Amino acid sequence: MDRLIGAPLALLMLVAAACDRDARPARLLDGRPAAHFRRVDDSILTTARILRRPGLGRRLESCLFRGDRPRVAPDALVVERVGVVGESLTFANRGHTGVYACDGGIDPAGERAPPWCGAVFGELVDGRLLDPRLDVICRTTRRMPLAYVFVDPVPGAHWVGVDQGGYVELYEVLGAVPVRVASTRHVDTANARASFTVAQYDVAGRLLTRQELEAAVAG
Amino acid sequence: MRRFVVLLGMAAALSAATGAQAYHRFWAHCNYDPSTFMTTMTRDAAQDYANAARYEGYQWGGGCWNYDDVDAYPYDPPADAGMHGEGGDCSGLTFKTWRESTDTWRDGRWYWRALRNVHGPYDAAAFRDGVGAPNHVVAKSTAGVMDAFASGTHIGMVFMRSPYGGDQIVEAKCEACGTNIFYRTYRSDSSYGGVGRWGWTG
Repeated sequence: MDRLIGAPLALLMLVAAACDRDARPARLLDGRPAAHFRRVDDSILTTARILRRPGLGRRLESCLFRGDRPRVAPDALVVERVGVVGESLTFANRGHTGVYACDGGIDPAGERAPPWCGAVFGELVDGRLLDPRLDVICRTTRRMPLAYVFVDPVPGAHWVGVDQGGYVELYEVLGAVPVRVASTRHVDTANARASFTVAQYDVAGRLLTRQELEAAVAG
Repeated sequence: MRRFVVLLGMAAALSAATGAQAYHRFWAHCNYDPSTFMTTMTRDAAQDYANAARYEGYQWGGGCWNYDDVDAYPYDPPADAGMHGEGGDCSGLTFKTWRESTDTWRDGRWYWRALRNVHGPYDAAAFRDGVGAPNHVVAKSTAGVMDAFASGTHIGMVFMRSPYGGDQIVEAKCEACGTNIFYRTYRSDSSYGGVGRWGWTG
């Protein structure tokens, strides 16, 4: 009898444990199939590409504050990223003294038309950010709180991995700007804080660093 | 003698540890009490609230202070939200003064006590862009008392207009300069935009 009770209980515990971890999604936010990088276990590759500002047209201009438009070069390089729950544009200002990001998602106040729900600017000192510029305003299409932060790549890093529970979301380091990453895990909207488990890998997928990134909305 | 030396060493280690832990522990005095829903919000009251935060310091990502007119932890490293010192930062001070909700879709009025540690979801750029139901962009020429000027990196509220072309701005400016009222020319600075709070009742 004990065995009869024990088996379903063990099965229930297994299911509960599985539910606690997000299954590896099959597709990215834009519907494209999510690729896997064999060198990093349980990984999903986000897409990233470099474009020129004119090529993005209104997609970029609608996100950029009108007063900031002259501060970004007309032919500036823009890194466009699409992940599982988030998408972003990242680009530097004219003097490379700061970096902008447009964060994608739903604006819960309903004021901003998709795809953008937030925009941030971070000052660069010696090419590095003082602060990860956390944004917790956005929501996913399922209305879950969505947080964005910048990650400064360490020397030699080619991939930035974010632990999303059941999988690692991999972002390619591109364009000499910090990497904008997104997550729905550990987002504390009431206190405007979020934490990320971030790993960085070289081009072959060898782990370089792993750290907890605690971020707060500031400034 | 050996016992004395051992005890002396332990005492030195303990005193050093206590000092390190005491530093940046201002947030131990802060609380997470619920805010109070208010039906009114006057510009006079907002002036009083922000004025009372003067001299209480500055903390990157912070939003908690007492009313002793002293910054408990001045000169912290800049842009480090982990210092847990006294004071708000520019957007935290504005958020609390403007009685905003942590939910960006709520436009009601929520009173936060000084020691309530809250920053709110907006940084300066979000305020500048009028993000959130309680906020909206205003023409800089029409910005009045307790409206604000915001750039991508800073926000300050108009305490009063100055006859000299600029404004007296109440703002949490930096670790070294704290929270105070300063004469500023944000109104004519192209990197700043005007932003206001909906819902003033007087």
